Amino acid sequence: MTLLALEDVVIRYGQAVAVDGVSLAVGSGERVALIGPNGAGKTSVLNAACGVIRPAAGRVEIDGRVLTRATPAAVVRRGISQVPEGRHVFATLPVEANLLLGAYGRVFRLEIVSSTLRYLRSKRDVREQVERVYELLPKLRELRERPAGRTSGGEQQMVAIGRALMARPRLLAIDELSLGLAPVLVQSLAEFLVRLNEEEGVAILLVDQSATLAFSLCERAYVLETGRIVLDGASRDLEGRTEVRSAYLGRGPEDPA
Amino acid sequence: MTTFFQFVVVGISTGSVFAIVGMSLVLVYRATGIVNFAQGVFAVLAGLLTYSFVQHMPLALAAVLATLATALVGTLVAVVAVGFRGRTTHLASLIITVGIAIFAEAVLLAAFGEVPRSYPAISDRAWEVGGVLIQPQYAVLALVALAAAFLLTLFLRRTIVGQALVAAADSPRAAELIGLNLRSIAVIAFAVAGALTAVGGVLLAPTVPVSYSSGLTITINGFAAAVFGGLVSIRLALLGGYALGVLQQLVVGYVDSQYSLIIALLVMLVLIGWRSRGELAV
Amino acid sequence: MSAELAAEGRAARRRRVGAARVAALVGATVFACWLPFQLGLGDVGLYDRMGLYALVAIGLTLLIGFAGQVSLGQGGFFLIGAYTSGLLTMGLDADARLVDPQAGIDPLLAVAIAPLVTAAIAVVIGIPLMRLRGHYLAFATLAFALIAWSLLYAQDGFTGGQYGVSVTKRLVVAGHEITGATHAAVVWGLVGLALLLSTNLVSSRVGRALQAIAANEPAAAASGINVALYKLQLFVFAAAMAGLAGGLFTFFAQFLGPEDFGIIVSLLFVVMVSIGGLGSVYGAVVGAVTIVYVEHKLRELGTHETLLGWDLPSTAPSILSLGVFGLLLIVIMLFFPHGLLPGVAGGIRSARNRVAGLRRSA
Repeated sequence: MTLLALEDVVIRYGQAVAVDGVSLAVGSGERVALIGPNGAGKTSVLNAACGVIRPAAGRVEIDGRVLTRATPAAVVRRGISQVPEGRHVFATLPVEANLLLGAYGRVFRLEIVSSTLRYLRSKRDVREQVERVYELLPKLRELRERPAGRTSGGEQQMVAIGRALMARPRLLAIDELSLGLAPVLVQSLAEFLVRLNEEEGVAILLVDQSATLAFSLCERAYVLETGRIVLDGASRDLEGRTEVRSAYLGRGPEDPA
Repeated sequence: MTTFFQFVVVGISTGSVFAIVGMSLVLVYRATGIVNFAQGVFAVLAGLLTYSFVQHMPLALAAVLATLATALVGTLVAVVAVGFRGRTTHLASLIITVGIAIFAEAVLLAAFGEVPRSYPAISDRAWEVGGVLIQPQYAVLALVALAAAFLLTLFLRRTIVGQALVAAADSPRAAELIGLNLRSIAVIAFAVAGALTAVGGVLLAPTVPVSYSSGLTITINGFAAAVFGGLVSIRLALLGGYALGVLQQLVVGYVDSQYSLIIALLVMLVLIGWRSRGELAV
Repeated sequence: MSAELAAEGRAARRRRVGAARVAALVGATVFACWLPFQLGLGDVGLYDRMGLYALVAIGLTLLIGFAGQVSLGQGGFFLIGAYTSGLLTMGLDADARLVDPQAGIDPLLAVAIAPLVTAAIAVVIGIPLMRLRGHYLAFATLAFALIAWSLLYAQDGFTGGQYGVSVTKRLVVAGHEITGATHAAVVWGLVGLALLLSTNLVSSRVGRALQAIAANEPAAAASGINVALYKLQLFVFAAAMAGLAGGLFTFFAQFLGPEDFGIIVSLLFVVMVSIGGLGSVYGAVVGAVTIVYVEHKLRELGTHETLLGWDLPSTAPSILSLGVFGLLLIVIMLFFPHGLLPGVAGGIRSARNRVAGLRRSA
């Protein structure tokens, strides 16, 4: 079943065309990557999928429903949560508050009073969800009272992921997982994501510059260059392609894998 | 010496209003990034409404109704000031609130006329402590400011709504991404801030009659208190308000009453200069 | 045709267009200076005020449009310019003013000094001010204007306080009295001059630096442009314009009183600039003319006994002006944040494009 589908999406900033007719799909339980160089338009594609930007043309379908002009809140309610580039944790709030807000955001409607009442009534479920997140990411339990801004980069990444998980997403979209993090850390986060996907059934859409990470983590990948998908397919196959090897994996066609 | 303490006492009470307005400004700024130039209008509106209502009902009820009405107006201001997502910058919002302040003066002038209005204070019998007269109204004002600081801090730290407001300030992008609606958050912030300032205005009017043009000075004094807290600290805004009030009274008492506004302005300028050291951009 | 010839052709065309523009501007200025002599007495006053405010607005629009500094305090410089020229003319010593007809200096000198004084003040306060941005700058400039205005009352011995100062001397240049229509002509001549200077400025090296700053400040700074210095220069220029306008205002009103210099004046200048478009000097003139005209009409309306069946109170003129200007500011900032004229022009352009597109596909 397709959780997320973009069809011929075009994104413009003023006169400039950032994304020129991109189509991609993520099925339930899949791990899919969107790779490409800086400025290729990857974040724009992600933002269009999550309702942050309105595409100038094309369609966004979530769970079969057309949600091209949806708000980010509607997208979250439909089961897609994004972990933004650069983490963007709520720095002055403690880690646990960050997580709780992830749940609050899911029930948030235009009208605050009813949203808050709904949240307060579901406090027990929220509590359970927080505990699940602490089980998945034990480090966060240790840090629960610490202001999120006073944690390390890797810990902030975990906070951001935990916050997104609080909304019980079916698809977790992550923008630049590896940005500014040590390789060892990235590796353990990647392992965590695989476990999340295999044990909890959460689909993953990884948007990243690092092709190595993308191929090791995801079974399928799309390659985005200057706003267009130039290649897509199984990671295994893409890895072997010469263009990909030289452009993204830093190896010449004759170098051993 | 008693004169000095008398000035301090009066200063703390007028300063309480500055503190209340300052904390309201901080609340709105933290939640929305907007500085509400029209904040003082809420105090004036509440005072004038109380004056009108009190002709038909007991003071307490009049005050409560006036506060609620003002909070409602606050939500309207929020919607207009926030403008259009992506198109309206914080600076444009500030200028919109300037426009709202001007427009509000016109409305208040039309509705209530030019004459400053007032109504009876809580009690006419002042307490005497060591030769210093303390009006009960002053004491209530000071205590309300203190209580407001405490409650506001609690609100922002412990309630989910308050935390959502802080989150919107920490990262509007992430807040939106997890489903929070920034416009609703702005409305809540303006409404709470409006209600708080309204309470300040209701308590102020018996001692200092308010009229349509009082809003500007109240906003400026409140802004000075807020700047003392860097526009983000509730507690420092409280302290700044008290300090500014006392300073003003001392100048008015010992130097010249003509200079009270100028003093406030100079203090504000100094604080602005101090707070933006090292800052290059907004 | 080689690329070089084509480029030369373009440059020549630009020069021709530039010369045509200058000629048009000079022509318009001559017309503007001739106009007051054809107007009735009441209208001359209005026209004069439009020109004076236009001078202030020109300076402010450059400051906001190119330096990004929104000053809510130009009224303060206007005030200082007016009182400088007025008090210098009538005599700095308040008592001497009353008894000695020879007190004070030549009005022409006083008018010339006014912009110098405001410029000097602007240099001093501009250095710390130009570091500020956004809300801090807005409040700081507002504070400056308010302090100036409050000092009028606080130092009422010197400034005449709420009763003001009567300026009984006339401005005389080479034997001609500069009052009435002549005064208006001089003012609009200066407006034309200011426009000419500004358009020259925009195409010069300074203008290009300013445009770079307006487009992308950090990038401009990185490429070696001294952003702080340019901002200060614009601030001082805007202050000087306001001071000059104020200095001339004294000999338009022949009276100095605090009512002409309240805070609302500073805010009106912002409204004028936002009507005309941030950075557009011609737009600034349009904005000034519009606002003075609207204010005049509102005042007229407000002095009626009744309006649409409602009895109007004596405060009606204030209610109407405050209401309209507040609303105007809100609407412009919401829907036309770059200025009313550019917004409308853009709307017309896209409508025209759409029509052209329809015609083409037909």
